[in-house]
Amino acid sequence: MQATPQRTPDLGRTATSPRRRLRPAVVPMIARIGTALVGGYVLASAVATLIARLLPVDRAEATSWGMILSFLVYAIAALWSFHEPRVMRVMLGIWGGSVAIGLVLALLGVRS
Amino acid sequence: MTAALPLRQSMAWIHGWLGLLAGWLLFAMFLTGTASYFRPEITQWMQPEIRASTVSPAQAAQGAMTYLQRIGAGDDVQWFLYLPDARSAVTRVFEQRSPTSTAPPRPAELTLDPRSGEPVRARETRGGEHFYRFHFQLQLPYPWGRWLAGLCAMVMLAAIVSGVITHKRIFADFFTLRWNKGQRSWLDAHNVSAVLALPYHAMITYTGLITLVAMYMPWPAMVNYKTPLDYGAVAFGIPTERAATGIAAPLLPIGPMIEKAEAVLGAPATRVVVRHPNDRAATVTVYRHAGVSINARLPSVTYSGSTGQMLERSGGTGPALMTAGVMLGLHVASYAGTGLRWAYCLLGLTGAAMVGTGLLLWTTKRRRPGAAPFPGLTLVERLNIAVIAGLPVGMAAYLLANRLIPVDAAGRADGEVAAMFWVWGAVAVAQLARSPRRAWIEGFAIGAIAFAAIPVINAVTTARGLPASLRGDDPVFAGFDLTMLAIATVLGMAAWRVAHLRPAAPVRRPARGVVHA
Repeated sequence: MQATPQRTPDLGRTATSPRRRLRPAVVPMIARIGTALVGGYVLASAVATLIARLLPVDRAEATSWGMILSFLVYAIAALWSFHEPRVMRVMLGIWGGSVAIGLVLALLGVRS
Repeated sequence: MTAALPLRQSMAWIHGWLGLLAGWLLFAMFLTGTASYFRPEITQWMQPEIRASTVSPAQAAQGAMTYLQRIGAGDDVQWFLYLPDARSAVTRVFEQRSPTSTAPPRPAELTLDPRSGEPVRARETRGGEHFYRFHFQLQLPYPWGRWLAGLCAMVMLAAIVSGVITHKRIFADFFTLRWNKGQRSWLDAHNVSAVLALPYHAMITYTGLITLVAMYMPWPAMVNYKTPLDYGAVAFGIPTERAATGIAAPLLPIGPMIEKAEAVLGAPATRVVVRHPNDRAATVTVYRHAGVSINARLPSVTYSGSTGQMLERSGGTGPALMTAGVMLGLHVASYAGTGLRWAYCLLGLTGAAMVGTGLLLWTTKRRRPGAAPFPGLTLVERLNIAVIAGLPVGMAAYLLANRLIPVDAAGRADGEVAAMFWVWGAVAVAQLARSPRRAWIEGFAIGAIAFAAIPVINAVTTARGLPASLRGDDPVFAGFDLTMLAIATVLGMAAWRVAHLRPAAPVRRPARGVVHA
């Protein structure tokens, strides 16, 4: 890391020219942003709802723990969407994870 | 992002973009939110006709009830009473009218004199409430402003996490501030303001999201309750709904009920809710003052309005609800005494400084000596000036308008708010006629003059100017005017500093580590 030139992520901006040039990477980038913004929220909602449904404590308490922790899940999911180099893995992880938790929730049903 | 990057570099990259996209709104949220720590004091200053009085909460409530029984006994279903305390001089009352009411409409919100119970004669204003509301609603219609503010807070949270990962020298950054070194200085300033108050920034951002969590994240409640409202009733200790019977029964005096409740709760009352007044099923719910616990979900006692019997008592919540209540309390700081309140204020300003220096860093990092700025750079620079130098001018205009708009002018409260946004907008547009450097200098200078003018205009238009408030026993007015002078001094120093800044050669590449912005 010492005295290494900064590697700028390849987003159509080269290190020498500040001018933005569009590259084919635009579509994956949009997918990434959409996944971070919307998918991150959906995943956070799913995890929070699962916590609220499964935590073996009073329902007001379980609901509150889910809510309190949801923003942490959202932040981590959104940041990981930009860190993971393979966009397909990002999509699969965030959207796939949301669908999987959603299915579990559908099977569990609401708390009686 | 085709190649794998080390975590610190991908986080540095995302930190820069997150900060840029939400930076201007976050700066405005930090500045108006910081002002909101003094919401009741700002309201007091903006209604100089009202002098603080020393009336007990029970007396104030009884006075308000006498008035409400006269004007709204027949057709009101609920009365909310916000009782005066050491920081607020009036009783605020909201009437919720029956949907079948045929009485002529009247304002639902009233400001009453705690002693007489009659409406106070004071200028119409939103007072400190305006900064507070702007801080999380951004002057947009419900619910869009709240969603946008929430999104900004979420971006802030992600920026904090990615910023911390980007850093490896948290401790060393405490002591690192190199002046007049161009980009390196802005980076140092950004790091110092971010790192010194890091626990505060993380706390205020996360707890800010928690304040509206039931709106942002209702899904956990959906799986456990029929409607999210049922969860809210438990979470906020809302007493059991008791339907009106339709049988009239006079409402007992609530003064003694409040005194009983204060004995049960162990602290003064702050808020009273009267449901179905003058019905046999009437209830009186008394909430404890916020000043005795960090938990902002206030415990309450409910009495029958017709018999005076205690019906129920809230409380006994578990660790999760207590955590949420404490997070709420940490954010709004209603528990804080004067000293802690000022500490909160200074920490809030470091938040604004952190966001502001981050925005400046974005432009400094991308500027190349001798090269014409690319359009994005110009746009960001101009928006930086519009928000960082412009917003303070707008906030000063709001306060000045309070003294300059005639006291009995119609719609003056809206006029004050309009003054803030028109002046802010005018500064944002007018700066385009100047070079960026001149625009910074003049923007800060106008802000300094505007804030310095506030105590002067106050002294000219009211009898509670600085000479009088310093001599007499008027600490809120003296403190307010002195704070305005302090802000004017800081803005003046900022203008002077930009004017005397020698353009330093930008650091092409730091010797160690990466540049994160």
